[in-house]
Amino acid sequence: MDSFRISIDQFEGPMDLMLHLVREKELDLFDLDLDVLADQYIAYIEAMDNMHLEIASEYLAELAGLLEYKSRRLLPKDKSELEDTYEEDTREQLVQRLLEYDRFQRVSETFRQLQEERMLHMDKPQEEIVSGWLKDPNNFTDARGNAYDLIKAMNRVIQRYKIMQPLPKAVARKELSIEERTVTLKANMVRLGDTFTLEDLCADVTQMNEFLVTFLSVLDMIRSGYLSVCTGDDDTIWLGRGSSHES
Amino acid sequence: MNHELYSLIEGVLFVVGDDGVETERLAAALELPEPTVQEALDEMVTQYANDDRRGIELVVFGGRYKFVSKALIHPVAQKLFEQTSAKTFSQAALETLAIIAYKQPITRVEIEEIRSVGCDMMIRKLLARNLIKEVGRSDAPGKPFLYAVTEEFLDTFSLASIQELPELPSFREEQEADSEQLFG
Repeated sequence: MDSFRISIDQFEGPMDLMLHLVREKELDLFDLDLDVLADQYIAYIEAMDNMHLEIASEYLAELAGLLEYKSRRLLPKDKSELEDTYEEDTREQLVQRLLEYDRFQRVSETFRQLQEERMLHMDKPQEEIVSGWLKDPNNFTDARGNAYDLIKAMNRVIQRYKIMQPLPKAVARKELSIEERTVTLKANMVRLGDTFTLEDLCADVTQMNEFLVTFLSVLDMIRSGYLSVCTGDDDTIWLGRGSSHES
Repeated sequence: MNHELYSLIEGVLFVVGDDGVETERLAAALELPEPTVQEALDEMVTQYANDDRRGIELVVFGGRYKFVSKALIHPVAQKLFEQTSAKTFSQAALETLAIIAYKQPITRVEIEEIRSVGCDMMIRKLLARNLIKEVGRSDAPGKPFLYAVTEEFLDTFSLASIQELPELPSFREEQEADSEQLFG
């Protein structure tokens, strides 16, 4: 069977697989023969299982539902209304979910085209001097950005650090505690102005572990309110004196 | 068209770069009423688009005006540089983004109900790429986060605003005829 040539990891999930089966068997979603779809789905999962492919739990959850549907159909009909509504409801619910998912699957194609179109147009990053105007201390009152901005900014600093890094030399590990580093940093801050960047604080750093201790120390000072932080649009981490910063 | 206003706006747009600027902020900086600035911007959008001598055009994504190179520059730039970065999205990412965009604010569980697969990792990836954001918590048990798309999302898909989302298809077109018969 054709559909078995498509490996399970090519599908986005059970809904995607079911839509594929519906299309392939040319089933009508609005008058869905759930018996056919269930048979196809069960056969497909079995085939994948025989090929020793890993089948995600989501597929098995849907499989269980379809198996239940199938087994109820096999039971002798006692013509009770309950039985009938179960079949209708299961079918109706599944159809609704398939229709809903189908809409998003199709609109995501439009999004793909929109993005491809967008990628043909390129823009210019802001000049650093302009982003630097953000140094205005008034901007520090409202913390811009979120944790992810900070991670992005942090990655950029590490990237730069990697570029600056000379060729590897002998490893000499020196233990440096956050407390020690905080003392050094506070002393260094006296020389720096009201606002400075994380890079400024890392000026004397030569090793990755020193760099990490510096970052942790800065985070600790932010937490205690000694420093305030904001990220610029170009991922620069700007630091300033915090609320508890006396002297 | 007021030439001085034209040059002021052009200069500011050049300076703001890929960040772009909203009509509101631009008007405040120029100390001019918003409709005046909006009118000038609209005019400039058309002018840049229609002027064959220009390699850049003025666009508005997520409410922000900015300059971008015209599409015809792309093949030239590709030759000039060995490679232009092409960050395309996986089908899973596009589906998740689409669901969030149309259903926002929406919880992770609601997204998973539609996609029938776990979306935890995908949501984290989209958060890290700044395409979606947390916009509060739902009243559902466990107070799960609610997600919505960001301006970055609008920029990525060339959308001026969230109102400009393409129309969500109702159902498969080839079945439209069938369904009409069914209900007709």
